[in-house]
Amino acid sequence: MSVRANADNFEEEIKKGVVIADFYSDSCVPCKRMSPLLAEIEEENDDVKLVKVNVNFESSLSEKYEVQAVPTLIFFKDGAETDRIRGAAKKAEILEIINKLR
Amino acid sequence: MYDIAIIGSGPAGLSAAVYAKRAELNAIVIEKEYMGTGQIAESSRVDNYLGLYGESGFDLGEKFRRHAENVGTEFTEAEIVEILPQKESFLLKAADGQEISARAIIYAAGTTHRQLGIKGESEFLSNGISFCAVCDGAFYSEKKAAVIGGGDTALSDALYLSAIAEKVYILHRRESFRASAALQKAVKDTANIECIPNAVPTEFIGGKKLEAVKYLRDGKESCLPVDGVFLAVGRIPNSGLLKDIVCMDKNGYILADENGITSAEGIFAAGDVRTKTLRQVITAAADGANCVESARIFLSEKRS
Repeated sequence: MSVRANADNFEEEIKKGVVIADFYSDSCVPCKRMSPLLAEIEEENDDVKLVKVNVNFESSLSEKYEVQAVPTLIFFKDGAETDRIRGAAKKAEILEIINKLR
Repeated sequence: MYDIAIIGSGPAGLSAAVYAKRAELNAIVIEKEYMGTGQIAESSRVDNYLGLYGESGFDLGEKFRRHAENVGTEFTEAEIVEILPQKESFLLKAADGQEISARAIIYAAGTTHRQLGIKGESEFLSNGISFCAVCDGAFYSEKKAAVIGGGDTALSDALYLSAIAEKVYILHRRESFRASAALQKAVKDTANIECIPNAVPTEFIGGKKLEAVKYLRDGKESCLPVDGVFLAVGRIPNSGLLKDIVCMDKNGYILADENGITSAEGIFAAGDVRTKTLRQVITAAADGANCVESARIFLSEKRS
């Protein structure tokens, strides 16, 4: 199950292993399309954690990670950012990054 | 070999899919975006599609897609990069290597956001420059944003942003707006919106983030510091694939009447990509249906 993160728990949530942080907004169509896809990826990959950040409420996190468009996916390995996809992504593209981080 | 390859799964393509099924034609819908339903998904509300009043564009698109799925439509997610006319058929090549052959094509690839084509634009796209105010507006809370354009979309975007941002500029290359009178009045009555007419953007500048937009006004270059820019300068047809294959108007829209018949035998155009005066969901859906009928007649004449 994905975790909803805010400024208080974000760092803790991304600290260990492979994490995809999904910066999204409810009003964004590509975000709506990506959402089930990301859930599916998390479901199929036990070692991948999905952390959701709603940019309408978490402006300090968007600011800190310099996110200026949704959806933005930030990939973390043990707390360090390794990759970033701005805009809608294909499943294969996301899996490729995950496999690289393993 | 398919009877019909339908390129695009917006209302035109999905309507064509439903009609193709009823005509017992073997069709495939090819869409480049994951579960895409075209431009309609971006509309916050659709009030003028008969029988489905007040639906969000996204939900309407989902209903269309489900309808096509429920009748058994075959879909594939692929971006066609080349169309090669063969003897009696067409070979479609996709970016991922897929190849699809069909006797006829219903081309319903729609339109896409127009870009300005100026320096710094591609660099800051999705990094300070956006096409979607309701998506990315939240990033400019108590900041400065600019909207570029002068139509309904530009003014609606500016009004939406004015409730979030500290200041919103509207840069427009002409003296007056094309937007509706009601929107123009609302903009005029909004204290934190400033209009800069006769301004032609020339460059986006910044470091890691977008910092300003340069523009030309009365022959003088000025620099407007902004945190974000929203582009609303119209749309362009996605017709590049058919360049040199079908006739188009000077703006790149495919020349075809309501039957969808183009200058190329076996290729039919439906939806926003076709020359027409009213680009709406209802006219797109009608095009899809008409194109299937035209394709059906074309295919049966070929067979006899």
